[in-house]
Amino acid sequence: MKIRLQSFLALLLLGFILAVAICAPIISPSDDVENPSSYKRVGSIIDRLPHPPNENALLGTVPAQWDVFHSLVWGTRDALKFGLVVSLVVATIGTLIGSISGYFGGLLNSIAMGITDGFLTFPVIAAILFSTMFLALLSNYVGIELHLTDVGMLEQREIVSESVPSELALWIFNTLTKINPFMVALILFSWMPYARIVNAQIIRLKKTEFVLASQILGARDSRLIFKHLLPNAISPVIVLVARDVGAMVALQATFVYIGLTSGSPWAAILFWGRNWIIGPGGSLLNYWWLFVPATFALILFGIIWNLLGDELNVWLNPRERRIAL
Amino acid sequence: MIATLLVVTATMYGALMLFPTGARIVLYMDGEQPLRTSEEWDAAADIILEKNDLEAPFLVQYFSWIQNLFKGNWGYSWMLGDNIFHALLRYAPATIELTIYSLLLLIPLGMLSGMMAGLRKNSLFDWVFRIFAFTATSVPLFIVVIIMLSIFYISLHWFPPGRIGISTDLFLKSGAFKTFTGLLTIDGLLNGRWDISLEAFRHLAIPVFALSLAHWATLSRVTRATVIDELGKEYIVSASAKGLPWRVVVWRHIFRNVLTPVLTNSALSATSLISGVYIVELICNFRGISNFIIFGLMETDIPAVIGFSIYSILSVLLIMFVLDLAQAITDPRIREEVMGR
Repeated sequence: MKIRLQSFLALLLLGFILAVAICAPIISPSDDVENPSSYKRVGSIIDRLPHPPNENALLGTVPAQWDVFHSLVWGTRDALKFGLVVSLVVATIGTLIGSISGYFGGLLNSIAMGITDGFLTFPVIAAILFSTMFLALLSNYVGIELHLTDVGMLEQREIVSESVPSELALWIFNTLTKINPFMVALILFSWMPYARIVNAQIIRLKKTEFVLASQILGARDSRLIFKHLLPNAISPVIVLVARDVGAMVALQATFVYIGLTSGSPWAAILFWGRNWIIGPGGSLLNYWWLFVPATFALILFGIIWNLLGDELNVWLNPRERRIAL
Repeated sequence: MIATLLVVTATMYGALMLFPTGARIVLYMDGEQPLRTSEEWDAAADIILEKNDLEAPFLVQYFSWIQNLFKGNWGYSWMLGDNIFHALLRYAPATIELTIYSLLLLIPLGMLSGMMAGLRKNSLFDWVFRIFAFTATSVPLFIVVIIMLSIFYISLHWFPPGRIGISTDLFLKSGAFKTFTGLLTIDGLLNGRWDISLEAFRHLAIPVFALSLAHWATLSRVTRATVIDELGKEYIVSASAKGLPWRVVVWRHIFRNVLTPVLTNSALSATSLISGVYIVELICNFRGISNFIIFGLMETDIPAVIGFSIYSILSVLLIMFVLDLAQAITDPRIREEVMGR
């Protein structure tokens, strides 16, 4: 079999980034081996100048002395984790909604697709704003104050109510500290394309002979959906998942950069360094380590998953069913 | 469309119903009383509680709130220091300007380049186009903006960020400049000050180009794939075989068949376009509706967040509606279906 150059390139780059993620503790050892952090401080916190590359920090430091190289290496772990978790959860939700409503059809399908369209009109940024506000309000009424931190919102949480909080309040507090409102919002408002694609596929497949045959043989609904319909409808979903891993990380990086959330070390470097991007005399080259490595990492990550999606599209979908894009 | 809007607003209000009454008082304030001290605030809150029954069942409250929305009373934001509706009117023109110019740039460009690449499949142009479009889809939007700012603003000094320069801004506020539409590029011409229009265009250049680039890439890739798909169909062969000039085949036959899927696709990406508008605004310091994000999020300003959400949904629905209309105009099948009803 002939292997396309693009496939080879996609696999090579994916292997490279996976290797970096797995070998992160060897490439850039963390100070705390038990509980490794994606950020490492080399030097004093009150030192507000970015320092050029030296033997302690291979790619220099941003203001407050965060090591660029360390965050760059460990950022691959965070990006892979975030992208894979979000896009897999989103794909599962979308596929389930799309397939079940498509299979039963009728009024259920109209309602489900109507809800899908309603969600589609909500721009992600408005959704994130709304769910963050909702969580903040919720915690306010439970008696917890949410604080702003350096990068992103709602990071440190403490109980501020004067009376002793009730059991329920404590439970909500503990749950809230584990939730990333940004991730929740992103999951809630990204499943629609999957539902639509799967829905269209299932409705098309429902009328084919092999489905009718097993229906006549007395197969249960769940068996029909999961054994017969979904395996035939899943290939565009796989393509979309591959593309979404890159897209979700890009979206997260965007929101970290404008200061709405946290979690992407790559974008955090850009966030901390953004006042220094323009050097003295309007020169971009004076403080290049503040933005060149992180930008490069973000672009590379996006390209890898897009390339992978395109190649999966070619491999999985025969010519006529290939999804455009 | 209206049903979607009703369902979404009902969901948002329903979410707020989960909280005690106090959380919803701000939604009914019109900002006409002075609200500087906590006593004044309490007095205003008492008046609202007297006038509106905030313990009423959901539907009753929801409809009284919707009535308020139609009256132009969208709640008072103490971060913006104004009624939300007035604030929206103040900031929306900048956002509308940015959105309209981006759409005007990206739809024709995306379709043309996609057509050209699809018709010359595997040519040099096609390869360059594919690599360029692929890269443009992979690079996050904010990085595109940073790169553009660093080249065109910092290095070349061509296109400054912000909405308008400081000296012009002072002139705009001096009263000598009449505001007709709020869109600076058009108002400048209407006032006979083409230099202000030119300056507004220079400030618009980076946001518009960055926003268009990201969405141009998806649009033109869809167009290219559809064109290649259409080229293999039999009606093209028969049209060529009966001796039609290639130009006619392309523009009469292929183009009109490509239009429908492409317009559907761009209607679907309207949501990401609107999200992109705010991101670009924030990074370029183009003071539009994105102000609501800054103020609304920092202090859980409920009316600001709700107003922002409604504005976003309205603009998405409007873009979808216009593109659907364009589809109905260009596609006889849809046109007849709509007329038939």
